[in-house]
Amino acid sequence: MMPVRRIIPYLIAIAASFAAAGIFIAAMGFDVGRAYATILFTSFRTPNGFVQTLLKFIPLTLQALAFTVPLSAGKFNIGGEGQMIVGAIGAAAVGILFPELPIYLLVPLVILAGVLAGALWGLIPAWLLYRFNINEILTTVLLNFVSFALIDIAATGPWRDPAAGHPTTIPISASGYLPMLIREPPLHSGLILAVLVVAAVYIFTSRTVSGYELVATGANPGAAAVFGINVRRMFVLSLVMAGAIAGLSGAIEVAGVQHRLIVGLQSNFLVLGLIIGLIAKGNNLAVPFVAFFIAVLEVGASAMQRTLMIPVEMVFIVEALVLLFVLLSDVVRRR
Amino acid sequence: MDSTVDFLRLILLSMVPFVLAGQGTMIGGRTGVFNVAQEGIMLTGASIGFLVSYLSGSNPLGMLAALVAGGIFGLLLAYLTTSLRMDQFVIGLALFFIGLGLSTLLPKLVIGVTLTPPLIPTIQDVPIPLISRIPFVGPILFNQNVLVYFSILLSVGFWYFLYHTKTGLELRSVGENPMAADSLGVNTVVMRYAAAIIGGMLIGLAGAYLPMVYTGTFTEGMVKGRGWLAIALTFFGGWNPMPILFGSLFFAGVEVLAYRVQVISSALPYQYLLMLPYVATILVMMVTFRKARVPAFLGQNYDREKRAL
Repeated sequence: MMPVRRIIPYLIAIAASFAAAGIFIAAMGFDVGRAYATILFTSFRTPNGFVQTLLKFIPLTLQALAFTVPLSAGKFNIGGEGQMIVGAIGAAAVGILFPELPIYLLVPLVILAGVLAGALWGLIPAWLLYRFNINEILTTVLLNFVSFALIDIAATGPWRDPAAGHPTTIPISASGYLPMLIREPPLHSGLILAVLVVAAVYIFTSRTVSGYELVATGANPGAAAVFGINVRRMFVLSLVMAGAIAGLSGAIEVAGVQHRLIVGLQSNFLVLGLIIGLIAKGNNLAVPFVAFFIAVLEVGASAMQRTLMIPVEMVFIVEALVLLFVLLSDVVRRR
Repeated sequence: MDSTVDFLRLILLSMVPFVLAGQGTMIGGRTGVFNVAQEGIMLTGASIGFLVSYLSGSNPLGMLAALVAGGIFGLLLAYLTTSLRMDQFVIGLALFFIGLGLSTLLPKLVIGVTLTPPLIPTIQDVPIPLISRIPFVGPILFNQNVLVYFSILLSVGFWYFLYHTKTGLELRSVGENPMAADSLGVNTVVMRYAAAIIGGMLIGLAGAYLPMVYTGTFTEGMVKGRGWLAIALTFFGGWNPMPILFGSLFFAGVEVLAYRVQVISSALPYQYLLMLPYVATILVMMVTFRKARVPAFLGQNYDREKRAL
């Protein structure tokens, strides 16, 4: 599907960033060969490693899509973190408030609550953009910081788990847990949801009228407006969709992984999601592949920190360098 | 009376990171280079500034290191956008990631994980002789650390430079209409590089202020959005040095207020106060954003080989 010639710059970029980071790792006195073997192969050595990779793949794919979908319309959503957190709060609230509901009702409701809460959080910057023309980069980022306070309120309020040392709520009802795909090592069905979202985004942007209008808006807003597309409404739609996708990732984290609301559940998924989206150059269909690659690196990075004592941030620098080299390869080709 | 003096003194003390990062953003933007990596550059500035101070025992050396680190970020931004003409937002985000990663990686590599945080002495207040003894105004304005004075002088200096010197006029013209500036013999490339590097240095120094004045140590994510707020401040100040200086008083005021109320009363859960700076900023943007005057060429790259902009 993807021609080999389009993959070559990516491979060069990856090799170049590994080489650059390798020099640094060697200079710090670590064993480069073992470090890279750990980073690249931990995911494939054991079933557990592979499942861990898939568990990272889910939120990373969704966070990246929450960035690339608005990017298709020419808008930068840096607020996936806040939308994920608010989605997680919504999901946890439903899971805690309605414990007597049966599993076939509660699971969909928990997920739906997360999606709606995230969409609502995405609606705020969308409205500010629509009504006041405020730059969405700033509002989405600032709302992340507001959401940090919100999750703290939710986790230390009436639902607080007094037994936990860290701000955490009591668990949601067991009938709100996402069903398991595999029991051991545990893999929840959020994976299917993530794959469905990837498919839905692809179909929406390539096979529907409003999806086409969205992409046309991003390609050339002026021309899109001339052809009767309500460009500003497209901005709103794209940001609300992003919020819904990020909210879903929050709901999956609650219903599939933590089974409760925990402060810090958003991890560093936002920044990794942005890196994935930018490496994929905003191509929604390329996102899951890049996300899988980054998930492999992330799982390898934790293993490397455990066994070789090399800080995980080293791999984060590698990821940022991959992005920079991928971007540079565009410049080289332009010449 | 005393508590008012104290309160106003604290606001001036807390305005410094906003002033430095805001002016750094402004000066780059005035040539069209829109930096969005503030948060990452400030984190790196805080991290490197702290580490160098810790290892050398000298705060000025730490500040110098933060200036250099910020300058390197500015240079990278200038090279990738002005020379290679890559998208400024995308490059800004990439630099933000690198800064974010470096800020936590460096302390782990240099110091390692310790049980008690390593500390550096915070920088001293330098009362200015005679005028620091003027009642009310003296203790607020003239009994502060050197960076408070520096940030005020810098703002005035930038104002004078931009509006009362020929080079300043030329610099502004690059951000408004680089083609016209180019045709009049202004070296647009040098202007953009210089402004981006100086801007990066100021943003790096803004980061170093946090461990050197507030905490005495570096903690992960200690910038807490101040870099992003500085972008909002720059828009709020209309990309003008003096309004940015006064606008930073508002940002600092909200920060100090949130902190003060937290200490004084427990009636309001502290989390609501944590939200205050961000919510207040969004509210202010709702009022001011439409009227904000922005350099016409902000965020774009100039290609002199092209016939039209």
